[in-house]
Amino acid sequence: MSTKQATRKKKDSNVKKTDNLKKEVEKLKQELKEKNDKLLRSYADLQNYQKRMEKELQIREVETKKKYISELIDLNELLKKACEDDDPKAGLKLMINNIENFFEKEQIKYINCMGKKFDHNLHHAVNTVEDDDCESETIVEEVKKGYMINDKILRPSHVIVAKKKENE
Amino acid sequence: MGKIIGIDLGTTNSEASVMESGKPTVIKSSEGQPYFPSVVAFTKDGEMLVGETAKRQAVTNPEGTIHRIKRKMGRSEKVKAHGKSYSPEQISAFILQKIKKDAEEFLGEKISDAVITVPAYFNDDQRQATKDAGKIAGLNVKRIINEPTAASLAYGLDKEGDHKIAVYDFGGGTFDITLMEVGDGVFEVLSTNGDTQLGGSDMDQALVDYLIKDFEKENNVDLKNDPKAFQRLLEAAENAKMELSSTLQTDINLPYITVVDNEPKHLEIKLTRAKFEEIIAPIVNKTGQPCKQALKDAKLKPSDIDHVVLVGGTTRIPVVKKKVEEIFGKTPKRDVDPMECVAIGAAVQAGILSGDIEKDIVLLDVTPLTLSIETLGGVATALIERNTTVPTKKGRVFSTAADSQPSVEINVLQGERPMAADNKSLGRFHLDGILPAPRGIPQIEVAFDIDVDGIINVSAKDLGTSKEQSIRVTGSTKLSDEEISRMKKDAEEHAEEDEKRKEKVEIRNNGDALAHSAQKTLDELKEKISDDDKKNIEEELKELREALAGDDVDKIKEKTEKLSQVLQKASTAIYQQAAQQAAQQQQAGAQAGSSDESSWSGHPSDDGKTIDADYKVKDEDKKKSDDDKKKKGKTD
Repeated sequence: MSTKQATRKKKDSNVKKTDNLKKEVEKLKQELKEKNDKLLRSYADLQNYQKRMEKELQIREVETKKKYISELIDLNELLKKACEDDDPKAGLKLMINNIENFFEKEQIKYINCMGKKFDHNLHHAVNTVEDDDCESETIVEEVKKGYMINDKILRPSHVIVAKKKENE
Repeated sequence: MGKIIGIDLGTTNSEASVMESGKPTVIKSSEGQPYFPSVVAFTKDGEMLVGETAKRQAVTNPEGTIHRIKRKMGRSEKVKAHGKSYSPEQISAFILQKIKKDAEEFLGEKISDAVITVPAYFNDDQRQATKDAGKIAGLNVKRIINEPTAASLAYGLDKEGDHKIAVYDFGGGTFDITLMEVGDGVFEVLSTNGDTQLGGSDMDQALVDYLIKDFEKENNVDLKNDPKAFQRLLEAAENAKMELSSTLQTDINLPYITVVDNEPKHLEIKLTRAKFEEIIAPIVNKTGQPCKQALKDAKLKPSDIDHVVLVGGTTRIPVVKKKVEEIFGKTPKRDVDPMECVAIGAAVQAGILSGDIEKDIVLLDVTPLTLSIETLGGVATALIERNTTVPTKKGRVFSTAADSQPSVEINVLQGERPMAADNKSLGRFHLDGILPAPRGIPQIEVAFDIDVDGIINVSAKDLGTSKEQSIRVTGSTKLSDEEISRMKKDAEEHAEEDEKRKEKVEIRNNGDALAHSAQKTLDELKEKISDDDKKNIEEELKELREALAGDDVDKIKEKTEKLSQVLQKASTAIYQQAAQQAAQQQQAGAQAGSSDESSWSGHPSDDGKTIDADYKVKDEDKKKSDDDKKKKGKTD
């Protein structure tokens, strides 16, 4: 057994090792390429999904608008007629009735606030007045009516709230 | 790692945004608004309110409500509420906490990291205080960046090489101008200036004053002392301001604004944009001086500025934009929502910090034009719509249009026109060896696979025999801009006539399909159909075939409908006989003929539109039905 032989043997095994490693690298490269492709595809999918959702949202928005605007169109036509009527009161009352029925159907409810205690969940205070006759924080004037939709706030009542004079 | 959100912690309102697969999304508050009022309140009962609810009760609880805490950041002075004192960091932390909580609810995941913006003029103490506020709120503040830098990032100005930017930030209550220099993605503030008491609410007030004066002149009543009227005026003024950004004139109509001597009064004013601009001119002009000072401090001339970025809702007003153009001699950028610009920029910064993936996604290409294949009657049936992000793969199953059709031709098309001939053909190939079968039976799956480089692989596979053919098309996304815009323009210009042509083909295809299915019905169910019905069907079928031989589309349509009616009548009778199948008949849609065929041959029902491409046109039928090249849309 010469040293030459031993060197050759070692060399052979090194070549073999290198070959194996090269193969391994190739395999990993291929795997990485596939994984990368998959990753990019899932991101592209996500972006395409986002685009589709945006489109769908727009369509839905238009559909919702249509529903409410067609109610408004009807109302507008009737108001025009009322305008030409010398005594439109009865007609107007019916129209109000219709709108209120529509509100009821859509679960829109008026927030009854006069004389109640101010509640930041339902009311928006635009001003206060000094008033010793009633409890502090009582709503004494309704500036703009508030409404609920499906038990959620649609818009708060805009109110003026009573305040006791400072006793200083 | 979780998402990092970007927060624009503002004086009156705060906004938040987050990157989702390379796109910024604005986070909504639990009240459903795209912003959070920067208001914190402590009620007498010891409850803490933040945002919208705090704002609502502000006037009833002035001693417990804290506004504009941003102005106190970095100072040691404390704010008091009902006897308790809080540091400005604490109050800001309450706002950030609310944003964090709502963002978590909005995104459905825990948020622990944030990028927060501050004005360019904030000193180290103020920046540290902002960072501390984040920490108190339970946020890991990844970075504090300048608001004008964030706005520039929202416009991608960090990628455009060395240049100078002016950021003109005109909000509801403050005005800031910042001049910056950017190079290699690094922003350096050259100078800042502004006015802390100037904003859009001053404009609303000026407009309300004008309306009150005008009304007083006409009616001798001062609406200022009528809180109900005043509230309505303020709202109307805000609306008019917004309206006049897009229209030249608006009507301010406030019926029953007040009552004088038992007589109701209405406010009715026509306001032109010119008049509005005259009213707000003093306010707009006040922004000129700070801009000039900023230029002077930075030792710059207006012509040295490469880009002007607009931030804040007030910059939506055309005359404000004009003023900016006048100062800097340049058309400002404004395609990102000026209200959301800073928060979006903070989210962009957060995206960069959170890793490279986000950067890669931004670079994904889209298909510039729709990719389709030619189907029956020369219609282009889209497989991949325009603007689809690649890489992507879409497949769809088609079928033959004639009995015993041995091959199909796939003609790959690019373009927006509905008819194949008007689009660009990228290549075509045949798939042969389809087993002899009645039309509509073979299932051929056509798939478009576009890789990240825009190379399209189109394959067609006979699902029955597993035979497959494919073609590679390179450079589909590499069209020149002129080519793309020409093709889009073509499509727009011809939209109407194209639609008509397509409709004609569809009517013909429908008629042809129904004729085919009627014949089949007659052949297969002759025992079950009554003689009367049979005679009717035969007559109508003959007439439809005659119509199909001609060019009168209206006639084809009419005859198709007639045949459809008699067929329906006949099939209803059959179904009544076989009552257990009645439910099936109900499914037959508007295209009774086609659906009938589907159910009789045991196919899953298609939607009306794809089935239209189902069958060959008559002319071709006559020529050579075996060599049919057209195919039908079946299922996705």
